Amino acid sequence: MLRWIDRFANSSIGRKALMAVTGLLLIGFLLAHVAGNLTLYADQDGSAFNAYVESISALPILPLAEAGLALLFLVHIYLAVRTTLENRKARPVAYQATGTHGQKTLASTGMFVSGVVILGFLIKHLLDFRLRKAEFDEAPHESIVEAFQHMPTVAIYVVGCTALGFHLFHAIQSAAQTLGFNHPKYTPAILWFGRIFGIVLALLFASFPLVYMVKNGGTH
Amino acid sequence: MKLNLRIWRQKDAAAEGAIETFELDGVSPDMSFLEMLDILNEKLVGEGTDPVAFDHDCREGVCGSCGAVVNGQVHGPDTETTLCQLHMRRFRDGDTVQIEPWRSRAFPVIRDLVVDRTAFDRIQQAGGYVSVDTGSAPDANILPVPKPDAERAFDYAECIGCGGCVAACPNGAAMLFTAAKVAHLATLPQGKVERDARVLAMVTQMDEEGFGACTNHYECTAACPKGVPIDAIATMNREYLRATFLSKEGV
Ligand code: HEM
Ligand code: FES
Repeated sequence: MLRWIDRFANSSIGRKALMAVTGLLLIGFLLAHVAGNLTLYADQDGSAFNAYVESISALPILPLAEAGLALLFLVHIYLAVRTTLENRKARPVAYQATGTHGQKTLASTGMFVSGVVILGFLIKHLLDFRLRKAEFDEAPHESIVEAFQHMPTVAIYVVGCTALGFHLFHAIQSAAQTLGFNHPKYTPAILWFGRIFGIVLALLFASFPLVYMVKNGGTH
Repeated sequence: MKLNLRIWRQKDAAAEGAIETFELDGVSPDMSFLEMLDILNEKLVGEGTDPVAFDHDCREGVCGSCGAVVNGQVHGPDTETTLCQLHMRRFRDGDTVQIEPWRSRAFPVIRDLVVDRTAFDRIQQAGGYVSVDTGSAPDANILPVPKPDAERAFDYAECIGCGGCVAACPNGAAMLFTAAKVAHLATLPQGKVERDARVLAMVTQMDEEGFGACTNHYECTAACPKGVPIDAIATMNREYLRATFLSKEGV
């Protein structure tokens, strides 16, 4: 029983499809996240952001949503590590001459590296805010101001967002192809939409630490 | 022309291989790449050394036997060209030319530039066929095929099974080969009978052979001497999802 699920989840195509679905759902989370963060730009004293955080914290399904999000990350990362390791084993002897046929990009060959950088940034991000939830909920906007006064924090956030931009540059059209969507009418648009979307989203996320650093002076 | 050749030499599957260097004079720009290797081999045999082993058969770009990685590029620098159809006018006097075999765990080197590609045969045997009666010729137009489908199927059917897609893929994946077969048969009415069972069986065999998994670099389609389009892989992915979730196959 359920042999077909086992076969699917362990096949090369099934694993990639699960990576694509979890990746796209993570992008859905990022969209909600960036929309929430944009309240930081709504006013000067951060009351819009504070109100947003308060309304989110009060949601009864928040723990469930957080658990689901964690699961998406775990599945995506597990499959990414497994696929990357197996792909390395598939070519035990490397070519001595390096050449290309002009299709692979820095983003496509660097998916694992950009993923690991995102993961490192994510851990730092959780340590900064989520694992200090009591303090954060007390004064959300204050916490943001405080966190982005540390230059090393700002630097890590900018590096993390850059990696996210690289990851998404390749990921969106890759996910479409992985899920079987390739059509002469739409594929070129998906390619360019995905690239621009990835860059814009990364720039938006990177703007928060940078704007706050400039506004409040990065002192230490 | 005079060339500086750097060629992978390996006695057999178990032996350690290494790059060996040869100087070859008197190469004409009108020679094919394989003719250039023939000249080298004549010289080597004359000197009492082993010739460089390489696969070839038709020498007109249709059989899929030949192939090597030349200066890091599968089948050399020309697009949609097999190694046997590559000409020496693409090189210049004094060039260094590095020649390596396909590199894949599923394609072990047998000798020098010759690799064992029977993994492809096993993928093909797992489902790359249709069960049609081969009695008398059927009536014309009894199975209508729209012109765009016929052309698409033909693009996929052009695959000659050379293995260049595997060699070009940074992950050593055999997706373009397998997809060409799956998409070819899924596009035509004759292929519909085994449609779901075929894609499940062929992908399972492909994975068992130890090829990598596609991460959509698209190097394969650019390296393919027949230009098999990349939408073949999307089609196979779609067929695989369909067979897994919507069919009664492989419960
Ligand atoms: C916010 C976080 C992330 C998002 C939104 C995201 C999104 C995506 C998407 C949409 C894909 C394309 C899937 C496909 O084509 O099948 C992908 C692929 C991939 N991701 Fe992520 N990912 C994230 C984090 C990570 C992390 C933390 C890692 C690793 C530690 C990682 C490693 C990979 C790898 C190796 C691939 C495969 C490359 C490919 O198929 O082209 N990702 N990701
Ligand atoms: S020898 Fe037949 S394709 Fe090159």
